[in-house]
Amino acid sequence: MEQDAAAEHLQVIRTLMERTALYRRTLAPVMLFIGAAGTLAGIGGAALGIDSARAFGAWWLAAALVAVAGAFVIARRQSVRDGEPFWSPPALRVTQAVLPPLAAGFLFSLATLAAGGPVRWLFVLPNAFFYGCAVHAAGFFMPRGMKLFGWLIIAISGAAGLGLRFVDTPSGFLVDHAFMTAVFGLLHVAYGVYLYVTEARKSTA
Amino acid sequence: MNPKALLQLDRVIHEKGRLAIMSMLAASVELSFTELRDTLEMTDGNVTTHIRTLQEAGYVSVAKSYPRGRRLTTVSLTAAGRSAFAEYVSLLERIIHQARAK
Repeated sequence: MEQDAAAEHLQVIRTLMERTALYRRTLAPVMLFIGAAGTLAGIGGAALGIDSARAFGAWWLAAALVAVAGAFVIARRQSVRDGEPFWSPPALRVTQAVLPPLAAGFLFSLATLAAGGPVRWLFVLPNAFFYGCAVHAAGFFMPRGMKLFGWLIIAISGAAGLGLRFVDTPSGFLVDHAFMTAVFGLLHVAYGVYLYVTEARKSTA
Repeated sequence: MNPKALLQLDRVIHEKGRLAIMSMLAASVELSFTELRDTLEMTDGNVTTHIRTLQEAGYVSVAKSYPRGRRLTTVSLTAAGRSAFAEYVSLLERIIHQARAK
């Protein structure tokens, strides 16, 4: 049947066009690096006793800078190894998608640095929330459950915000460091391990 | 429309491998040779042959550069290629639409 053949061809075209628009660099090492940076920052922050709003903001902003720079280097090495341009159209789309929410989080961070506390409301929760939004936005151009990961971070930051309203939570910077470590460190390590295992399985299939 | 509408389809694009290459290029400004080869799981020779056919038809252009001393071959659709691909897709849609209308 001609229409069946035509429909099949259109489906092939649609699938390939969608796949081409996806960012396909290996995400596992990037996630593991971000997770490691987040975990070390949390442990370091607690160990060094960083317990003022400005120091807390500066410390975690520096950690974010290290994480972004590391992710950039890893992605760039992959593109050089594969002989492909780093700023491919999918890479540009991902960057454009994540920039607005990351900029919003950065503005809250600057407010923390400028005004001091309250760190939990001005820095920790907004950054986690906007970061979750950025990951979710990137998920439109990435495979492998990225959107779900974004939703998970948004849900955790939302639940933590509600918890602060209705449940007595311990005050002090140790809790804030622990929350940042959980979201920006351990969660990323877990996702990186998941990606690593499933990518390895896929490549051996 | 001719009852044998599939016969009216552009034969250069209609071949499976070339259709895949054209589809990928239609979704991107340009793609590297390795990206095409790896995504479509073709051999170097297959990709080269298909690209040469598309190039001879004036549908794609090939550019070579040497960033950091490594050869990078990129392929992109020409205006004629984009137009031919749009016409190809449009004809497929018309075939389906006509069959549904009957």
